[in-house]
Amino acid sequence: MRSYSRATAWTLFSPWVVTFALFGLYPFAFSLAASFTDYSPINAASARFVGADNYVRALRDPAFWSSLGNTAMFVVGTIPFTTLLALGLALAVQPAFRGRTIFRVGFFLPSVVSVVVLSLVFKGLYAPNGSLNGLLHALGLPTPSWLLDPNTALPAIMAMDVWAASGYYMVIFLAGLEAIPRDLYEAARLEGASWWGCLRHITLPLLRPTLLFVLVVNTVRSLQIFAEVFVMTRGGPLHRTTTVVYYLYEEAFYRFNLGYASAVAYLLFILTLLLAWAQSRLVGRTSGVGA
Amino acid sequence: MSAIETRDTAGAEPAPPPPAWSGSLMRWLWLGPLLASMLLPFAWMLAVSLSETSGGSFARAISGPLGLGNYRGLFGAANVARYFANSALVAAAVVVLNVLTAAAVGYVLARRRVPGERFWSLGIVATLMLPKQVLMIPLYLVMARMHLLDSYSALILPFAVDAFSIFLVRQYVLGLPIELEEAARVDGASDWMIFRKIVLPLMKPVLAVVAIQAFLTNWNSFLFPLIFVDSDRLRTLPVGLALLSQTEHSVDWGFLMAGSTAASLPVLVVFIAFQRHIMSGLLAGAEK
Repeated sequence: MRSYSRATAWTLFSPWVVTFALFGLYPFAFSLAASFTDYSPINAASARFVGADNYVRALRDPAFWSSLGNTAMFVVGTIPFTTLLALGLALAVQPAFRGRTIFRVGFFLPSVVSVVVLSLVFKGLYAPNGSLNGLLHALGLPTPSWLLDPNTALPAIMAMDVWAASGYYMVIFLAGLEAIPRDLYEAARLEGASWWGCLRHITLPLLRPTLLFVLVVNTVRSLQIFAEVFVMTRGGPLHRTTTVVYYLYEEAFYRFNLGYASAVAYLLFILTLLLAWAQSRLVGRTSGVGA
Repeated sequence: MSAIETRDTAGAEPAPPPPAWSGSLMRWLWLGPLLASMLLPFAWMLAVSLSETSGGSFARAISGPLGLGNYRGLFGAANVARYFANSALVAAAVVVLNVLTAAAVGYVLARRRVPGERFWSLGIVATLMLPKQVLMIPLYLVMARMHLLDSYSALILPFAVDAFSIFLVRQYVLGLPIELEEAARVDGASDWMIFRKIVLPLMKPVLAVVAIQAFLTNWNSFLFPLIFVDSDRLRTLPVGLALLSQTEHSVDWGFLMAGSTAASLPVLVVFIAFQRHIMSGLLAGAEK
């Protein structure tokens, strides 16, 4: 048989080569270099090598640490709730019942709508005299000013994120649930196992890889929270909602410290990798699946 | 393609008898209120957008007169119609380019037609796992150097070839029998002909998934259009809405919710129409 044509193969493959080089490797290398200079678009020609100054500056900058703290709070304060809610929803809509698709689609709905739209809607709901406070007032509950109050602004954004993200992870959990062989449950039921027993001894152990995936993906995503902050609070009040990516954005596009911002971006990148790796080790070990 | 195929075979199993209404009713009783409360923010969005006198209050919106005044104001005022057109144009371009390049690259990758297949695959998986925001400053810097900022190219080119789309196609092609292609080659068909006439038609299901995913992602895209474009005339809908909400329309909830509803309508229509495709694409992603 005639062998295939190398030229055709490379032609078909070229879009990836170009994209990977131009929008992948090149930016990565260029900004790594820029992170060791005082680069900014204004002094592009005269950028000076400043060694590790940008990194040192970031590590000494209280604003950077506070943005990291806000991001950590966001991650720690949303992921357990999102994961539990997503798992609960998945268990609720997995068994066959009439109208099941309506619920699957309905819970997933926030995931297909633009984050800007979701943020605008919640900004309206959270307004000091908005509908949420109207409801709380009617119930005789306290009515904080949510996004305008330094103490409630970040939790308010976090609550929205739990609401917005859980449907997406529900679908991932559903995929994991569908992959569990049904005869396991049938055998267990013959032995007289309860619903709770099946959940504890079959579903949860076999769902560990899915759980790991959900935790890693959600952590990586949560470290990048930006649009919500941009639309709802612009990092305020008192920088209490300034996440790392929002801080990065302000440094790069308001103060035009692109060299410094590149360094911060690399720190975030390393942090992202470390956390994803740590999580895969942690969940991998306890499940015995191996990381 | 693992996920789609497992779903198909799962569907081919002897289907259990349709569940009885009585059992389903129990589930509706507790899941129904939960779903309704989770969808309340959307109800608020729609009600406020249709009321000209609500001032953001749900109660006033649903008790007062309804009308399309906010939508008239939306498309009359500012450059919202332009934002809409920009979003549509950019999304269409990205979808077409994504489908074409993913088909070509994914196929070559699956059939190992270029040397260094492992290197390329690693690059694709790394790109896929890495959050795009990490690349925001690096991409901005090189876009500036290539003089691509503040143009339609800035909104299209970096997103024309997508790692996830390629990955989806590659997985799908791995599940296609190679015998058809070999038979055609024996008959003297060129590689290009084989790709065009045999492989491409077989790829239709996965290319549909790619197109839908690309549309949803791109239509909602915010961060990159925000930093890559300065001119008002190039703004896409999410960016335009976000910026309007911080300037002249900051508490004009009727206006903002009309904009939000209008921006959500295309994705909702696509989502409802292709709900099965979207879920299967998502599941394929979960198995990467």
